[in-house]
Amino acid sequence: MELSSTPLLLLIAVSAVLIGVIVFRPGVTATAGGKMLAFFVLFLLPLVCLGIGTTYHIDNSKRTEFCLSCHEMEPFGKSLLVDDPAHLAAAHYQNHRIPAGEACYTCHTTYAMFGGFRAKMQGLKHVYVHYLGTPPAPEAIRLYDPYNNRECLHCHLGARSFEEGAVHNADPDLLPAVKANKVSCVSSGCHEVVHDVASLKNAKFWKGAL
Amino acid sequence: MKLSANRLERRLQVSGILLILGLLVEATCLLWTRPIAFVVFLCVGGLLLVLGVLLYLFSLVSGNQQER
Repeated sequence: MELSSTPLLLLIAVSAVLIGVIVFRPGVTATAGGKMLAFFVLFLLPLVCLGIGTTYHIDNSKRTEFCLSCHEMEPFGKSLLVDDPAHLAAAHYQNHRIPAGEACYTCHTTYAMFGGFRAKMQGLKHVYVHYLGTPPAPEAIRLYDPYNNRECLHCHLGARSFEEGAVHNADPDLLPAVKANKVSCVSSGCHEVVHDVASLKNAKFWKGAL
Repeated sequence: MKLSANRLERRLQVSGILLILGLLVEATCLLWTRPIAFVVFLCVGGLLLVLGVLLYLFSLVSGNQQER
């Protein structure tokens, strides 16, 4: 769910005005009402603003536009619009198999304890490299760890197309191996075209989302 | 604006100034949709807000000690 920043901006404006009363007229804190006002605007309101602001920013950082706002990620964003169902990320994005507004976060967050926290920490590292380091070329960007089937199975496990798919059941050992992450979904020759950013120049793009 | 001669009131004023600056940073970061905005929000805005709140709490404690 996308949070609107307008209510928080209003709350910040109201808080700033009330704090201004204390700053310009500190004498009001001499009365019981003034003390209550000071507690409210110098303690409670700033903490509420900080809490809501943090929630807003964390929520905003899950958005596809947020991830693609760094130029290093632009080719990865373009790869979501490749008009070829063999491209895994594009097929998921264009057919809304994942929430289109949170496409990057949905597939690149580990579905394990502290997965979201770990994603944010890695995001901070990316910000550091973007501003203070040497960002690699988009074609050279690689995952920190091999893609874990757990992330695919978060949605596909139990789905009829996955469990009863002809190719998945051609070999009786395949599905148990996939579920145990012994055979990778994306690097075992089955769904290997994910973000093929190196060949985007020759790709045809879907214009439906524009 | 003049800072009050009273120590408790002066601390409340400084606390308020820190909080207003923190809120301004927070508001700016809300309108700035870049990944760096989150870092500025937490490191600058958050720090100013926490400092302002802590100074307010300290002013309460030190104010009580003076009254004794």
